[in-house]
Amino acid sequence: MATGAAIDRKPMKPEDVLRAIQAARGSAICVPTMTTAPAWRTIAPDDLSVGCVGFMGGASSMGLGLALARPDRRVIVLDGDGSLLMQLGSLATNAGAAPRNFVHLLFKNGVYHTSGAQGIPGGLDVDFVMMAKGAGYRVVTMIDDLADFKRRLPELLKADGPVFVELHTGLAEQTPMTARGGVPFPQQVENLRSALLKPHAR
Amino acid sequence: MPESIPATLVIDTLKDLFREARAAHAKEVAEPPLHSHLGWILSVPDTHQKTVLAALDKEESIRVVTCATEDEATAIAAGLYMGGEPVVLMIQHAGLYASINTLRGVAMDGRVPMFYLIGLLSREKDKDPRESRHSMVRYCEPLLDTFGVPHARLEGPNDVHLIPEYYRLSRERRGPAAVLVGLETS
Repeated sequence: MATGAAIDRKPMKPEDVLRAIQAARGSAICVPTMTTAPAWRTIAPDDLSVGCVGFMGGASSMGLGLALARPDRRVIVLDGDGSLLMQLGSLATNAGAAPRNFVHLLFKNGVYHTSGAQGIPGGLDVDFVMMAKGAGYRVVTMIDDLADFKRRLPELLKADGPVFVELHTGLAEQTPMTARGGVPFPQQVENLRSALLKPHAR
Repeated sequence: MPESIPATLVIDTLKDLFREARAAHAKEVAEPPLHSHLGWILSVPDTHQKTVLAALDKEESIRVVTCATEDEATAIAAGLYMGGEPVVLMIQHAGLYASINTLRGVAMDGRVPMFYLIGLLSREKDKDPRESRHSMVRYCEPLLDTFGVPHARLEGPNDVHLIPEYYRLSRERRGPAAVLVGLETS
């Protein structure tokens, strides 16, 4: 098993990772949070995404609810390391519920980028791969190279979940503090609900 | 004086509520249902409602997801709502206190319907909850009032009609609503 301990090579650019996800996702629902959110709304300006900003740590739980409700679609959570630490027990809840269509991508940069890049507890030494494995995710891996990510992503998106991937990334160009705006959260909720529930949406 | 409510009565009420929600959904959405069960319970175990939770373990028509925190339960409920699924949260007052920011961020700011059954653990039979000597009982209704969350007390078997009423209210208002379980269920 690849471990997710300290990063020892040049990290991937989050925007490059997000573009690769957009290219491969098909009709998957996506749940970005914090620093993935501003770039995602430019890269994937669609109604099949709902952001988690304002209740930090809730992205994977919201994604779990979507995955349980809609087993006919993949759900991809674009999580952050600081965010996940705020609701670390969600790893066990996600694994316990065990939705096969659930893909949890963790953008690991070692800092709370949005609030000023303060280090997270434990910094880059925190091994989320071990935690996800211990919680019971079916597929767990670490990726630190963009070409490798692009090569493996289609298979990861087809795998029986829950899938967890720790991605070693640098800092995003924007954060929710430097790039405010976008569709308000209640509107995102209704847009996604409408997209999922309208006749012949699948 | 409040009375204990049998678990079977609560579960039958939840089943009726979920059937009603499914029927309403079917009128709005043309695609066939993706699930055979009636609805979802998201729970963080609560001593006060333990007989209901135990009975739900054997109930195949309702799917229960046990969550590690009430924050998770609230966010999972939002995801289920977006996916068109009926859901009820079963927590206790301490969990409400712990997760109030997520209730605010998801159910209030996000305008997501969210219905809670909240156990008033340690509520005294002979006291109004607002006069309880236990702070966790005493502050529950004032906290809900502060956040503008409509709530009602489930004080006995004759009050179970409040469960579907406040569930509907959460849908109509597109926000949180709560029913407080006064005594331990039996």
